Order: sequence, then structure tokens, then C-alpha cells
Amino acid sequence: MVIKVVEDPRAIIKRWLTAESFITVGRSLERADSMEKVLGRARFVEDFFEEGFLVARIVLAKVPHARIRRMVYDRALENPRIYRVLTHRDIPGENQVGYAIPDQPLLAEGKVRYYGEPIAVVVGEDPDSVNNAVDDVVLEADPLPVLYDPLEAMERRDVLVHEALGSNIAFRTKVRKGDVELGFSKADVVVENTYRTHHQEHAYLEPEAALAVPDLENRITVIATIQYPHLGQRIVARVLGIPSSYVKIVAPYVGGGFGGKDDEGPLVAARAALAAYHLRRPVLLYYTREDSIQTHPKREAAVVKYKSGASRDGRLTAIEVTIVHDTGAYANRGPFILWRATMHSSGPYHVPNAKVDGYCVYTNKVPQGSFRGFGNPPVQFAAEAQMDRLAEKLGLDPVDFRLMNMLRPGSETITGQVLPSSVGIHEALKKLAVESDWRIKRRMYSESREGRFRRGIGVAVGWHGNSTSRAVPDWSNSYIHISRDGSVSVYTGIVEVGQGSPSSSHRQLVAEILGCPIEKINVIFGTTDAPDTGATHASRGTSVGAIGIVVAAGRIRSRLESFLAEYFNVQREDIRISGGDVVVGDRVRMRWEELVALAYSKGVDLSATGYFFLPKGSFNDEVGQGFAYPVFSYIAVVAEVEVDTYTGRVRVLEVHPALAVGKVINPEAVKTQVEGAIIQGLGYVLMEKLAISEYGRVVNDNLTDYVIPTAHETPAIREAVFVEDLWEYGPFGAKGVGEMAFIPMPAAIANAISHALGVGITELPLTIEKVYSLVKQVVG
Amino acid sequence: MRVVFTLNGRVVEVDVEPSEILLDTLRLKLGVKSVKRGCERGECGACTVLVNDAPVVSCLLLTVQINGSSVTTVEGLQSDSLFMELASEFGKNFAVQCGYCSPAMILTSYAFIKKVLENSVKPSREDIVRAIEGNLCRCGTYPRVVRSIEKVLERRAKAAPQI
Repeated sequence: MVIKVVEDPRAIIKRWLTAESFITVGRSLERADSMEKVLGRARFVEDFFEEGFLVARIVLAKVPHARIRRMVYDRALENPRIYRVLTHRDIPGENQVGYAIPDQPLLAEGKVRYYGEPIAVVVGEDPDSVNNAVDDVVLEADPLPVLYDPLEAMERRDVLVHEALGSNIAFRTKVRKGDVELGFSKADVVVENTYRTHHQEHAYLEPEAALAVPDLENRITVIATIQYPHLGQRIVARVLGIPSSYVKIVAPYVGGGFGGKDDEGPLVAARAALAAYHLRRPVLLYYTREDSIQTHPKREAAVVKYKSGASRDGRLTAIEVTIVHDTGAYANRGPFILWRATMHSSGPYHVPNAKVDGYCVYTNKVPQGSFRGFGNPPVQFAAEAQMDRLAEKLGLDPVDFRLMNMLRPGSETITGQVLPSSVGIHEALKKLAVESDWRIKRRMYSESREGRFRRGIGVAVGWHGNSTSRAVPDWSNSYIHISRDGSVSVYTGIVEVGQGSPSSSHRQLVAEILGCPIEKINVIFGTTDAPDTGATHASRGTSVGAIGIVVAAGRIRSRLESFLAEYFNVQREDIRISGGDVVVGDRVRMRWEELVALAYSKGVDLSATGYFFLPKGSFNDEVGQGFAYPVFSYIAVVAEVEVDTYTGRVRVLEVHPALAVGKVINPEAVKTQVEGAIIQGLGYVLMEKLAISEYGRVVNDNLTDYVIPTAHETPAIREAVFVEDLWEYGPFGAKGVGEMAFIPMPAAIANAISHALGVGITELPLTIEKVYSLVKQVVG
Repeated sequence: MRVVFTLNGRVVEVDVEPSEILLDTLRLKLGVKSVKRGCERGECGACTVLVNDAPVVSCLLLTVQINGSSVTTVEGLQSDSLFMELASEFGKNFAVQCGYCSPAMILTSYAFIKKVLENSVKPSREDIVRAIEGNLCRCGTYPRVVRSIEKVLERRAKAAPQI
């Protein structure tokens, strides 16, 4: 029999999307990296440091806004163990690292725009000498007026963070749908509030570091704490003025990223590379915890003005939203973050009339950047608080009111995009309401609002577009090669930053598709030696990152089937390859290894790439309508809290999540992402607050004063409800998960506290002092 | 200054600066890479080691202070059956994400279990939570670390003779 080899990505994706029985997919197989990590064998960037390597640190500006006269560092160089102090003058290529807008230097040039901005790199022989030298670099600069409030900065023309732009507004977005005035005129209830959210520090346990090793002919290898090796390659090449192909980036195990190392990683790599370029020796550049907190971009601090209306029958009629992001000194990924906030501002609801405006505004503060949720948590916080207030006014239960307006397959979003399928949030919330005993508890707590300890239960939903916003190109890729012994090497640019995709889902997908024994698979991840797979951000490690793996493995599988069909003269239905067993018709049986040996001897190509370019539509900026994302992931959470009205202390007793994230490749691995995001979200809402002084300095630049959750603050997290609303292009229908549970957490906790106290909440964080003042409002 | 101590069962002699912290001695001079730098002020717990069987953050200890002591890191426990049982529970229960805090987290957990078993007490969940409270994990593996500890304790309780 002749079976045509299927090489077409779409056909391959579809074949595995419609698979019905699974060997490894859908099973909670243990991660391949857990043992080496607990046994201390997993190597992180600093673990590659050897005696004889040089060390380097960045020097940070200690002024918030100033024109640079010169930098003086003679004293630093008096120590013979200090080799160089590098400034922007030492950059052989371009001193330009802005991701969205070319507004950011690698090392300050001309001006300093925030306290904590890197101005120089000190390179020396040992950490002590370098630490001392850092303090001996003096910046002589003329102070300029500072801007800290984004609302003020928007109006000012006399003080500009970036003069060339002529305004402090770095970027604007808009969405227009229907006619909001008409929509509000049809509303029986209208709610209008201004919501404020705050910065969040990533506080990954591993601070940033990069080890740069120079090679002959201007080639360089950088081992870095980074979430996108190929982006690091591009930035290093640009800064050094050499071709990208001369730069190799390796992300070994990365000690947490959450977006922070997506922004800062390439810059750390470039600064280390600059040092190695000049010194011609391996250089380890590392951030202290203080360096890290002072300099790297933070979660968006947002002001969201939100007006929404609904009719008496419980339908949303219109929303009008203004989002202001304080992007700090540099746009960084601010425009992308603002896009995402804008596109998601309605929540996963059908809203016939919408007017949304977004502003990304410069101030003299540490930049805003990528952090789990990427602009989405503040707008969901606002949208979901609005939903509760509207429900209250309408006399409806918050879950019922949400369900009445929720997106379903075939619904249209506020950008006019129709979502034909993979919209499982309605079902997820319905199930969650039952499993969390929502109705009983809601009634019970409503009726017992007295005494010192008051309980409340809150619900919030969230949605998150998979892939990059709008028509920004996104793709997946991988390279798979089968060795003669039947072992399988999988190359991906996806990084292992804790989420576990290379060590769990990637292996499970390859084992499922090839039918090989899973222990034969080695995933080589986080390297520019693999094809550009895009970043390990935006919950895309598996959802988008592994599409390339499905395609590459699917190609090889198809070649093997075609070969077997012809060789043994059988049909495809007669071929089974799974778990390392190969059965052809009813007479031939062999091991996977034998199949590979046979294929090698008969000329079957057992290596393949799996490029797939995500199909997207276009977004029209003029009219504020169009394609936003290929698909959305959805989540709903119910949170229960207990408020101590004597002190304002809040205990989160229980969080119950429900997700509609397509096919779940490894349920336990997915749950760990959900739990981690819940705990991080709880920290953001109740504990974490970046304190910025009048001088623009982050005051709590350490983990003593910037407090993150410990085991003690961790609430009970109930078994997640999953609705498998398959995505047509996802690996076996999988969608993104990593960020999901963070997104509704601010709203869920705030709504629960609102419920306990009977008071509206518009501002985060809900620290003990803040909650106590809310208590005072109610109790007096 | 010359310091002599036991590292993972072997006596080591090392020359250190008076101000040198144990974290640096271990990582830079003795090649012990499982001990991680996180904050260098005793907050995150990533540099936890066992000194005479008790978990201590090595960034707040001067190396001269441990002269004559016994220091244990995960490198020294890989033939210890209790430790390996716990490690295997960490794996099975997905108590590891990025892994940066993991060697320290498991050392703290191990020291706790050992103490519990030695004293034949039955800890509550709250006791377990308190025991690991000093080890930060930004990935949020806490519930699974607690579960891993509970699993080992449950198994040991079953194996122990009933009094």
C-alpha cells in the first residue's frame, strides 16, 4: 500500500486534535526534571561560574531624572583588581534596547530617567572588589523636574521624560463598538468607579545573572536568566554590532521568571556580553537582590475608570473604560501590555456597546513590564467589581448575572471578533458554582454580617487571549531528530522557567505522537541552537510553543507509517505504534528501536522541523475593531475570606478554581501552575506593595521589606474544575494556562471582602491598614 | 583564617577571610552548587544548609563560626534513605517547579521530619507549615511540599510499632 506522507502542519495538527485514545497525553506523569532539581544537580546560571572567570555588576543611577554631565570612576580603577568600568561609550553597536519603542539605552546616555537605571558596568576579579568599585562610580548630573503621577504626566508638556516625543504619552489604544450613548440610555442601572492598582515585584528566588564567554572571531556564548533565547541573541548582536549568528544564548534552568526575565533577561545578557567582548575573558554579571528590585520592570500600576450599564432583565448594555498605565521611564513592553488590557477590558462578556481608551504614560519611575497576566489583572479587577455592583443594584446573584452575559461559542467580543468555538467559560462557572457551594455560602455569609470575624465569598472570572495581541506575528517551531538507537532529541527554544513544559508536556506529546518509550526522549530547551520558538511568556510554553513539536513529531510519524505501509504492504489502519511497541497487520511485531533501525537502513528521514505560523486576522486602529487573539483561555475562581474587624487582617480560607483551557496534557502539572498563580495573586492583593520614595527610589528593595507569601499565608486550594474546550491549533487542543489563575485573583478576593463587609472596593493592595479603614467605614 | 569543619561527612580545611560568609565558601571555594544565593540577608532561605542537623541560612553565617561543626547539604544526603524517600515524594507530588528553592526546601523538610521521628511526635499540618515558613518559593509549591512531608510521615507512622 502507498500512503502519502503528510507534511502539512494543519493536517497534522488536526489529526492529533481529533485523537480519541491516549497513552501519555492527559496523564499526570512526573516531571523529568524534579529529581535533578531536589538533588541539587540542576544548574542555574551562577552554577556555571568557575575560578578564573571575571565578575561584573551594574552601577545604578541614584537620581530620578537628570541630564548627565559625566561619569567619574578613577577611584574605582585605583584597585588593580578592577579591570574596566564600561559606559555607553564602550558599546560598539547600538545603545538601543527598547522592545516596543526605540526609547531605551542599555546604559544611560544623555539622561537618567529613573532612580535605579543602569549607567555603567564594573568588571573585576572578585565580588568584593567589584562591590566596592560600584560605590566609587560617581555620576555628575544636573537634576531635572520629576514626574511620578501618570495622570499629571499625561497633561504636562513642560516636563518630558522623552523630549523627542513631545508628550509623555508613549502609546494609545482604543476600541469602539456600537454606540455607548445609546447603550447607556437603555440601561436601568449604571455603575461608575475609578480603580487603582499597584506595582508588583516578581521576586523570583534567583536574581538575574548572565555568564558571557567570548570565543574567537567575535563570537560569543551567553548563559543567561532569560525567557526568550532568540530575543537575547538579537539584542546582544545589536549591542555588539555583530551578526545574530555569532551569538549563542543558553537559558539553563531558570529560577523563576513570571515575565520579569523576559524583559530584563536580554539586557542582562547584553551587559555581560559587552564586558566579555572588551575583556576577552568569561564574565559573570550578576544582580544583587537590591539591584534586581531597583532596576527591572514591574507589574503595571493602573488607573482604570470604568462605567457600565445593564438593563433590568440582567443584560449588559454598554461599557466605557479609560485605562492609564504608568509605564515608568521606558515603554519597555508597555504598548503590548496596554493592548492586552484594552482588548480584555470587558471581561468575557457579551457587551453590545463599548468605548475603551488606553494610555501608556511615561513617569520617572522604574519601568512597567511583563508580569503574569500582562495588563489583564487590573482590568479584570475593575470589570469584575463592576459586575458585582451591577448585580447588587439589579438584585441578582453575582454568578447568575455573570452567566446571563457570558461569552459562548458564536459570541462576539468588544473588538467585533466572533469566537466560533473553544469558549468553555459558561460551563466552567456553572460547574464551579455547584462544586464550591456558592449559593449556600453566599446566602449564609450575607445573613451573618456581625461579630468580630466576618466571612465573605466572592467570585471572579477572567479571560486571556492566547498568543501575542492583534496581528503581531507569532509562530511555533521545533526540531526533532531520532538517533539510530531509537532515542529522540527534541530541540525547542522554549525555556524551563518552572512551568515544566519541556520536562512534562513536551515529552508527553512526543511520546504520544511518535509512539516511542517516553524515557527515550530528551528535550533540549532554552537554546538558540534550537529553531526560534518564540518566548516562554504569555502562557505559551505548551499552547503555542509545543505546536511545533506536534508538527515535527507528526511529520516523522507520518513518514514511518508511510514506510511501514509500503514495506509490509498494509493499510494505515493496520499500523499501531505506541508505548514503544510496533504492530503491523497481524503478523509483524517489533520494538520501537527495531523500527528505527529498519527505517535508517531503508532511507527514511527521521529528522524534521515543525514550523507553524499562527493564522490571524487584522485589527483596525482607526475604527478600534478587529481581530484580537486566535483563541482565549478562561478561568473562574471562588474565594472565601475571613475578615478580622478588630484588626483588618484578612485570611483567605479557600480558593476554588475552574478552567476552560482546552486539552489538559498533564493535569497535576497544570494544577501546580494554578496553585502558584493563586498564591502569587494572593500576595499581590493582600501583602505586596512596592514603596517608592519622594526621590523615586524603590525603598523596599529586599525581601525583608517587600513581603511575599510563605507557606503560612497559603489558602486551601480546592481541586480545579476543568472544561476541555479544545482549540483547533493547540497541541491536542491545549490552550495557555500559566497566567490564568492570577488574573481573577484581585477581583475574587476584593469581591469576597466586599461581601464580608458590605462595602465596595476600588483600590489595591488590600493591606491590613486598608482593610481596617474599610471596616471603619462600615462599622464606625 | 583556617577553618576546619565536616562537610557532608568529610573533614575539610579551608582558608577564609574573617568576613567571609558560609554561602560564598561553599559555592566559590568548595564547589557546593546546590546552595543558592537568593537575597544574602537571611530572608529567602534558598541558601539553607544543615549545621549539626539544624537548618540554617548560610548567608548569615560567617565561615569562621562553623569551625568544628558539621555541615550537610543535599549533595551529602543522596544515600540517606529518609532523604531519598522524601525526594521521591517531592517528585511524585509535583513539589518542584523552577527548582531554585528546592534543595533548601527539601533540607528544611528533611530536618523537620528527622526531628519529628526522633522525638516520636505527631505534628499537625500547622506544625509542618511553620517548619517550612522560612523557605520562600515564588512558584508557590508550598501545598505540595506540605503534602510530600505528610506522605513520608504517614508511611513512617504506619511502619512504626504501635505502642
